[in-house]
Amino acid sequence: MTTISTPPGPPTAAPSAAAARTEAVTKIYGEGETQVTALDNVDVTFERGRFTAIMGPSGSGKSTLMHCVAGLDSITSGRIWIGDVELGTLNDRQLTRLRRDAVGFVFQAFNLVPTLTAGENITLPMDLAGRTPDREWVDTVITTVGLSDRLSHRPSELSGGQQQRVAVARALASRPEIIFADEPTGNLDSRSGTEVLTFMRRAVDEFGQTIVMVTHDPKAASYADRIVLLADGRIVDEMASPTVDSIIDRMKRLGD
Amino acid sequence: MLKVTLRGLMAHKVRLVATAVSVLLGVAFMSGTQVLTSSIGASFDKTFADVYAQIDVVVRSTNKVETPFGAERTRISGDIVPTIDAVPDVEAAEGQVVGQIKVLDKAGKPLVTAQGPPNFGLNWLTSPQLNGWNLIDGVAPSGEGDIVLDAKSASDGGFAVGDRVDVSVTSGVREFRLSGIAKFGKLETWGGVQAALFTTTTLQGMLGEPGTFDWISVAGTDGTSQDQLRNAVSKVLPSGTEAITGKEFTEESQDAFQKLIAIFNTFLLVFALIALFVGSFIIYNTFSIIVAQRTRELALLRAIGAGRGQVLRSVIVEAFVVGLVASIIGVGAGIALAIGLNALMQQIGFSGPDTPLVIPPVAVLVSILVGTGITVVSAVFPARRAATVPPIAAMRDVAVDRTGTSRLRLSIGLLLVLFGAFLLWLGLFGGIDASLQAIGGGAFFVFIGLTIVGPVAAGPLASVLGWPVQRLGVNGRLARENAMRNPRRTSTTASALMIGIGLVGFIAVTAQSVKASTVEAIDQSIRGQYVVSTEGFGPTALPQSIVPELDADPAVRAAAGIGGTFAKVDGSDKLLLATDPTAFADVVSVTDVAGSFIGLGRGQIAASKKLADDKGLEIGREISATFLQGGSTTLVLSSIYDTELPLPGSGWIVSVDQFNASIPPDYQTFNQAYVLLRDDSSAGIAAAKPGLEAIVAKYPGAKLQDLAEFKKAQTDQANQFLVIVYVLLALALVIAIVGVVNTLLLSVYERTRELGLLRAVGMTRRQVRSSIRLESVIISLMGTLVGLIIGLVFGWALVKALADEGITAFGIPWSQLVVIVVIAVLAGVGAALYPARRAARLDVLAAIASE
Repeated sequence: MTTISTPPGPPTAAPSAAAARTEAVTKIYGEGETQVTALDNVDVTFERGRFTAIMGPSGSGKSTLMHCVAGLDSITSGRIWIGDVELGTLNDRQLTRLRRDAVGFVFQAFNLVPTLTAGENITLPMDLAGRTPDREWVDTVITTVGLSDRLSHRPSELSGGQQQRVAVARALASRPEIIFADEPTGNLDSRSGTEVLTFMRRAVDEFGQTIVMVTHDPKAASYADRIVLLADGRIVDEMASPTVDSIIDRMKRLGD
Repeated sequence: MLKVTLRGLMAHKVRLVATAVSVLLGVAFMSGTQVLTSSIGASFDKTFADVYAQIDVVVRSTNKVETPFGAERTRISGDIVPTIDAVPDVEAAEGQVVGQIKVLDKAGKPLVTAQGPPNFGLNWLTSPQLNGWNLIDGVAPSGEGDIVLDAKSASDGGFAVGDRVDVSVTSGVREFRLSGIAKFGKLETWGGVQAALFTTTTLQGMLGEPGTFDWISVAGTDGTSQDQLRNAVSKVLPSGTEAITGKEFTEESQDAFQKLIAIFNTFLLVFALIALFVGSFIIYNTFSIIVAQRTRELALLRAIGAGRGQVLRSVIVEAFVVGLVASIIGVGAGIALAIGLNALMQQIGFSGPDTPLVIPPVAVLVSILVGTGITVVSAVFPARRAATVPPIAAMRDVAVDRTGTSRLRLSIGLLLVLFGAFLLWLGLFGGIDASLQAIGGGAFFVFIGLTIVGPVAAGPLASVLGWPVQRLGVNGRLARENAMRNPRRTSTTASALMIGIGLVGFIAVTAQSVKASTVEAIDQSIRGQYVVSTEGFGPTALPQSIVPELDADPAVRAAAGIGGTFAKVDGSDKLLLATDPTAFADVVSVTDVAGSFIGLGRGQIAASKKLADDKGLEIGREISATFLQGGSTTLVLSSIYDTELPLPGSGWIVSVDQFNASIPPDYQTFNQAYVLLRDDSSAGIAAAKPGLEAIVAKYPGAKLQDLAEFKKAQTDQANQFLVIVYVLLALALVIAIVGVVNTLLLSVYERTRELGLLRAVGMTRRQVRSSIRLESVIISLMGTLVGLIIGLVFGWALVKALADEGITAFGIPWSQLVVIVVIAVLAGVGAALYPARRAARLDVLAAIASE
């Protein structure tokens, strides 16, 4: 592996140590009898320069938590910050700008615009902002994810693993405050999955990127620095420096 | 973002085909008609310029009467010609006689049909500076019995120099000998109009006005400008005459013709706009579907930072590009259409000589703007919906809100319908000036309102219409459910049909009512058993001498004729009718509302009840009138009458005495004559026929009909017009059907997974096809039935409004309506053919696995 010089920090550099945090966040769906509490008074902090995984059984609210922190979904009560900016104070346009400039996304599937090439997908957020990308940095990212020879291909011409790598590259290319990944390896075979996770790990280690990943896969979660466990919309536990075995043990005990 | 937009466009360009086709057709029609009418206009402009090229100044009477075809003037005496000739700078001055005649073919029928421009009789000018005719065979007319025909008339009639040629004029049928055949410059006719030439005195005698001319043509010496000449000539003119330049004279004719063309143009443009309006539904639907299908992609873009405005603009740009490209191609198609139509018209014999193609740049630009504009406007609401796709939709299959049954929608829709109904009421019954615009606007808002309310009704409607179809098994149930489950899409598709069929139904009902009213009126008012009519008007109608001849027949108890002329009555130019009131009252029922119709005589005038009501007239009132002959005069209103007979004209009637004193001899004609028999049994009616036919045969162009034939002739005329309107509406209907095909295709694509599942679980291909077909039939029926109801309501309203004009019967053409419904069902089946095949041919495995 080649050593790459650390680039300067993210464009919207904020002094606080938390890349994102929540305070008493609650999200309730529906009304009356069909009411569902997806998130119940959640307080969580995501440290800068760390790889955090959010885990939990189905229906635990892990995806909902991530969507809310990322500004993709609204909350019923509580407060959320990305960097120093409180999401509740933003209107739609400001929120959109925040997503464009300060947040990166990797989804489980359908990450890429099918009519654009891999290269165009990678620079899309910056193109939307009308900014010229830092070519040196973008090339670095592309080389890091190993896609230099695939840039002119459309998503339909790439394998699942390659598509996810493009998504990761896109997320990295704009050097956001924080990257949210929702089950990024869910649709991949184990080898591709490992590749993607390795790149994400490198991004944290070498570039100081902050990544928050939702996953149900203990192997994927083992790449993280810290795991936050959710059940029934509440944070029930945290683990630092997890290994696959310790994660599996902990998950077994969640039902107690 | 632009890149994403354009790439997206190219990727799903197939889905945009229907949109492009709708815009293309509408724009083609719009630009085509404008190119056609401009070309025809330009051609006739040139023709008039050619025909009057040699004339520098025209001297004519100042007494004129306006008709829809231009001004008609009193003829002036030839006494002033020498005076004009004596003016220095005048090289030649000669009087021009122009009369309407009927040259007969060898079988005794008029050579020129009454459908087009009339057959003219001209005097052969002797001044070479003014005579535009050159002989290609024979010699110029020199004696009373000589006639020269234009090249076309000679060849059409198969005449050779020396042949006998009969000519029918108001004063009778006269025999001539063909002394020569001539061309006007290079033209085979007098600028597209067929003419025959005689010596000046002969023609004046035929028309009954010796010594008079329609105008004096004057040619100036070289170097004299037309203005100079006109000024010089004006000085020597007596009062009652005026001189104008040849240029002004030409422009008058050109303007009069352009006015006619403009009406024709507007008529066609209305249909083009209707087609585009229907097309807008297709565009709206297509973009709605495209937006719905791209929900995930749009959500992704929003998630990674595309603003709402960017997404909205992206859809608008897509619409703009499609609209622009389709409009530009449409203009090309329109020009091709114009060329084709023009060729067709020249086959039929209409349109002047070589019509060069005139492509008015403004019209082309406007067509492109309208086409592009409509595309963009129709895509606005779908674009707004695209902008409101929540970013979260990228992660899960968030069901986009498809209900469209909000209370807001219902209230806005109903409000628009009410507003439209109000405008319609205003236009039909309110008596305002801009009534046509109010009616058009009202219809527009009603349609839009119904379309907005549509999704609310579409669900239940589809449910009801689909109910019988359910019995046909699973495919029927599926068809019904599919039509019900996306009410907005179903209703928009059906709405496009609704508009087209609504208009067809409206026209059908109105026409039926007109036909029924006419027949009713004829039954109620004509006491006679036979009608003699002709297609001409004025100098080419029936000579008045036919009535005493009919009267003299032993089988006839009474006969009366009715004729007309244009005159300036009570300040405005109107069509005035004339008859012998006593005889007329014998053959037609006329009631006196005030005064005495039978007593109408010289110096008097009668007004219809409607006219009297409108103008607040009373018996004894003095009405000023200016006719072609005799200048201004005052007539006393001595009768206000009422009759059921659908007579054309303004409602003013004078006696024949007054009529004949006020118009030139060649205009003293009747348009129709009615015959009352002594024996009105069916045997008597049959027995009288040969005698009457013998009389009528002496008048070329006249037709004898019994009441049944007469009524049929009227309804046939209405039917001809109906066919033309239906053909013009067909375009809108074609676009609506394209919309149905489009919706079905897109919905099949959308339901790929579901169809795959059904096939995997055991539905046969035939069942799939049948299900799509049934869905299509449900949608077609929905649009058709609602459309017919609307059409009926509109038609009823219009008939009510026209009650004053004599449309008293309301007729519903049931058989036509049934045919329309059947055609709608067949169209539904036809529209589903291709989508059904596509649906049935889906690869089951690929369908299930698709994202």
